[in-house]
Amino acid sequence: MIPTFLGITLLVFTITRFVPGGPIDRLMMEMSMSGSGEAGGGGGSAESSVDLPPGALDSLKEHYHLDKPMIHAYFLWLGDLLTLDLGKSFKYNIPVLELITKRFPVSMYFGLIGFALAYSVCVPLGVAKAIRHGSHFDFGSSFLVFLGYSIPGWALGLLLLLLFGAELEWFPLGGFRSSSWEQLSFFGRIGDQIEHTFLPVIAYAAGSFASLTILMKNSLMENLGQDYIRTAFAKGVPSRRVIFSHALRNSLIPICTGLGHAIGIVMAGSYLIEKVFNIDGIGYLGFTSIMDRDYAVVMGILVINTGLILLGNILSDVLYVLVDPRIRFS
Amino acid sequence: MTQNKPLLEVRNLHTEFHVEKRIAKAVGGVSFDLNAGEVLGIVGESGSGKSVTSLSILRLIPDPPGKITEGEILYGGRDLLKLSYEQMREIRGREIAMIFQEPMTSLNPVFTIEKQVTEPVLLHEKLNRKDAIERAVEVLSAVGIPDARRRLKDYPHQFSGGMRQRVMIAMALICRPAILIADEPTTALDVTIQAQILELMQKLQGEREGSSILLITHDLSVIAEMCDRVIVMYGGLIQEIGTIRDLFGNPLHPYTRGLLASIPREENKGKKLYAIPGNVPSIFDFPSGCKFCSRCEHVQDRCREEAPELRELAKGHLVRCHFAEELS
Repeated sequence: MIPTFLGITLLVFTITRFVPGGPIDRLMMEMSMSGSGEAGGGGGSAESSVDLPPGALDSLKEHYHLDKPMIHAYFLWLGDLLTLDLGKSFKYNIPVLELITKRFPVSMYFGLIGFALAYSVCVPLGVAKAIRHGSHFDFGSSFLVFLGYSIPGWALGLLLLLLFGAELEWFPLGGFRSSSWEQLSFFGRIGDQIEHTFLPVIAYAAGSFASLTILMKNSLMENLGQDYIRTAFAKGVPSRRVIFSHALRNSLIPICTGLGHAIGIVMAGSYLIEKVFNIDGIGYLGFTSIMDRDYAVVMGILVINTGLILLGNILSDVLYVLVDPRIRFS
Repeated sequence: MTQNKPLLEVRNLHTEFHVEKRIAKAVGGVSFDLNAGEVLGIVGESGSGKSVTSLSILRLIPDPPGKITEGEILYGGRDLLKLSYEQMREIRGREIAMIFQEPMTSLNPVFTIEKQVTEPVLLHEKLNRKDAIERAVEVLSAVGIPDARRRLKDYPHQFSGGMRQRVMIAMALICRPAILIADEPTTALDVTIQAQILELMQKLQGEREGSSILLITHDLSVIAEMCDRVIVMYGGLIQEIGTIRDLFGNPLHPYTRGLLASIPREENKGKKLYAIPGNVPSIFDFPSGCKFCSRCEHVQDRCREEAPELRELAKGHLVRCHFAEELS
């Protein structure tokens, strides 16, 4: 758990040190570009970077711990982390924590709703498919879920936006809420939020339908072939109860334990979908921070995501113990 | 045993399986009676149709691929094969109960023993939970589970194989069924546990008057110990029926003799154990005449051409062999 966390952060920290184009370079480039911009766009010579006093460069490096050996800097960063100080964004010049906490609920909102949608559709669908294995319904629904599986979420998002947003104008063209949110009544707000939620959530969830549905179906079918199912029938248990009590309880075990893993991934947001729907979430922030070499933000998001996934794993283990009496914490 | 009407009559039972567009006739016309109060054994090798016969009685054949295509199974004046699903459900576990070969997998791993053992009485007798639990404690104690009340909250994985089979027996007997079908109940267990389980079944059967056991096994020593009468099956057909005395004292069918000769005995110590030559053919490859002719030491041309009928040579002793008289 803790070694995993250290391993992941150390690895990414190392990478940030070795990829070309560090934050200082970036900063200087931007300064030089804005400088030349003010000068009237004439001759954008990058030479202006040398105009920076050498002392300023060093103090900048010192500020970001770039002057220290990597391991030393890593431990400094880790020490700051223990006091919940994730540093400041190079780009926005505000604390990383503030940057993340502002966007995190947005990603979590879409992620959790998508996640709930996926589970509430896939579990009953998988059960229905298992019971009617080999029927037209089974084949038809397989076709649909695999169609969703084979289209990337952002591509589906674009299609949905074009069709229902631009063409039919049923839904807004992205964003988290309307700009007029503040003026809306209570129910108006609810309606507005639902309108803005609908398409992104479908884009989020569509890809996960296939694996979850098929997992549910196969798990139930496998359990229906077990000896204890025959025992239940031999006792005179009605077939509905054999399926929905005896078999389903067993086949939910893999679904439940997957829940923890999935929740960590889902809450981390998705860059491409956030980009398509113009949602200012954590996925989008993570991507732009990598492009901007905004390493404090990169590391901050990494900490959050790693923490979430590790928490998800613990949640999985707890769920395992709850649903499967054969598993006990020792 | 008794002059009364038999408890269960199986008449001309045919059960087939559709496997990859081919039809496997697992049971090809089996008829027998199960009398009140008796222990009837069915013995045969793997693939002889004995398990399929027992599952057919409770209509537990998975359909598809299996299907009971012909026959009657009469119980209490009704043909079980003609009952509705709901009527059949009321027979299962209440009138006819069954225990299986695999105690390790025959109990649901995620339910407590209490839930599983009380389920039949809750369903069939509509007892309230408290009474059902009392019955469960009673019956679990009767099958020899120590400290039964405390163990109700345990899960199957907390029991050993022998203990799980006791739980299975308790679960099967909790509604006091008239017939207990036991499909290889001791095959998966240690020899010492085997004896205990068999003794237990005998004891419990003795407690309820008129209840019968149909015991399916491939182990002749289990048959000798437990049964009043025996059916010998091969190739989905009954080859010989008789009392235990008939069968062990005067076996008529070459297959029965082969089975008896392959039991290790004191006087044959040091000698090579006899084995019936060849293997059971694949279900699709049984010969058209006598099913056993491909492995029989006394085979004649007639055996390959003409399928023998089941004939009664002495009272209650039936055999399916053209040459039974000459050979005995």
